[in-house]
Amino acid sequence: MLHSVRISREACQGCVNCIKVCPVEAIRVVDGEISIISELCIDCGECLRSCHRQALGIEEDDWNKIKESPRITLIPDPVFFSQFSHYMNPSALEDVMSSFGYDMLIDEMEEAFDLSAYACAQMISHASKSSLPFISCYCPSVLRLIQSRFPELLSRVVHVCSPLELGADLWRMRTDSSNPVTLLSPCPSKITMIKEPQGRERSPIDNAVTVRRVARSIMASNAAPSPDAQLKERSNRWLQWARRGGEVRHLQAFSDRKLTVLAVSGLRNTLDVLQELELGRLRSVDFIECRICDTGCVGGIGTADSRFLANLRIGNIKTDWNVTESDIRRVEGLYAMDFWATTKEYLPRPQLPLSDNIADAMVKLQQMKEVYSCLPHIDCGSCGRPSCQAMAEEIVRGHGSVTDCIFKLREGIATLANKIVVLSESQPQTLKRRSGSN
Amino acid sequence: MGAPVCLEYRIEGNDFMVAGAASNNIKNTLKMLGIPSDVCRRVAVITYEAEINLVIHGGGGILKAEITEDRVEILVEDEGPGIADIEKAMTEGYSTATEQAREMGFGAGMGLPNIKRNSDIFKIESEVGRGTTLNCTVFFNKK
Repeated sequence: MLHSVRISREACQGCVNCIKVCPVEAIRVVDGEISIISELCIDCGECLRSCHRQALGIEEDDWNKIKESPRITLIPDPVFFSQFSHYMNPSALEDVMSSFGYDMLIDEMEEAFDLSAYACAQMISHASKSSLPFISCYCPSVLRLIQSRFPELLSRVVHVCSPLELGADLWRMRTDSSNPVTLLSPCPSKITMIKEPQGRERSPIDNAVTVRRVARSIMASNAAPSPDAQLKERSNRWLQWARRGGEVRHLQAFSDRKLTVLAVSGLRNTLDVLQELELGRLRSVDFIECRICDTGCVGGIGTADSRFLANLRIGNIKTDWNVTESDIRRVEGLYAMDFWATTKEYLPRPQLPLSDNIADAMVKLQQMKEVYSCLPHIDCGSCGRPSCQAMAEEIVRGHGSVTDCIFKLREGIATLANKIVVLSESQPQTLKRRSGSN
Repeated sequence: MGAPVCLEYRIEGNDFMVAGAASNNIKNTLKMLGIPSDVCRRVAVITYEAEINLVIHGGGGILKAEITEDRVEILVEDEGPGIADIEKAMTEGYSTATEQAREMGFGAGMGLPNIKRNSDIFKIESEVGRGTTLNCTVFFNKK
């Protein structure tokens, strides 16, 4: 399985910070360095955030190489428009990017995000009350988290393609172009999304680089929009998806009735809301927008600027929430031809049982409980596993030994030391007489 | 033949925040044992509905699951008000849930029927003023 988090062997010290924050316990220390278990990783980037030694980075495509192609077609994540303090109007940024020869597919983005919002609104209106709430699939790490930890909730995830990819699909369909398309991504998660799609066979997007990479080079250039530039007036609804609440606002614009929605961001909040949903609560909710990054995608680790400022900037962009007749006609046509729909099921991530054989697995479960009971239960991470529970499981699966636990090792040494003291104090019969007053 | 895996949970009455946590635990244990997923799903429904009943009606109680090589046996016991008319309680849509429970989305009257539908063997005993006991079995290979 492919992932977009890169480990620097030289910088990694094998400390336990990232191991403890990973929401799916995917990281271990092996031979003094961390190793990410590919089958478990959801590309959320929490490990990157927690690293104190710059040992983790985002695996992105080579922007210099991409810039060499004759025609550079870009799909900018909405976050891209929040990164600059001197291009307040999104059209101004568009003009600057054009001057560099970068063709951003903004019209397609406007349409694709409208289509996505319309499709979700339609699904909600046709759904039976008992099948609600639905969950957004926009954050690829949330989808992967659900596939991993909450597979029973998969049926609630809307089976709608990412609007970023839908935009590329629209462009390819209309221009018939096979030119490579590059995504400007705010996070490792969307990079993995295009390289290993869920819900579709292949992504229409070929490459991905971080928003940071391109935004910084634009900032450094200090370019200004040309004074006589024709700045387009657009609805800009799609840009609101950059921050928490934007998606549900867009859905509401395409919905006939007032929807009951939740917009949740941050890892802790995401886990809590999914757990509540799993326990059968939140029945009065229609739709849940969920983002792993705090404040929404503006908080992604592939961004170039403060998420607080980026959030403010998106809020200041003039947005037209009045959906016109022609807007609706446009999306209705695409909706009717299922253009937005995923073509593959979202599958749960397989969880390895303790054994292929149930009887053997039951024995191993008992062993696991016994091993766990003699561990210190402080989840310190010194053994290179995120918790004593994970350590017990690995021992029983044959991937470790009890002495990997530093406390068990010390206990073992203390026991040996005591034995040595006892032995050293026992004297043979012949010596006892000579030691005087004994 | 190994020893059966026994899981036992004490469920608190009216504790809606954690309602469902015990059945979730049971489900995760079944997954870890590699038990077939349709069995997991059926046990999940039975234990979840039973746990909610303990919270809403029974004033709490005990939820037990015993896993052997060919079946899961579920025992649910409470010392709650008991059920006056069991046949009526088993009809779909009938519920004696309080207003508070209904406001949270519970009390649709599907709990006991759902439990029975997902069990291979289903036994219910109840006495008004003494409490209710459920005994359900799910076989791995349907007989």
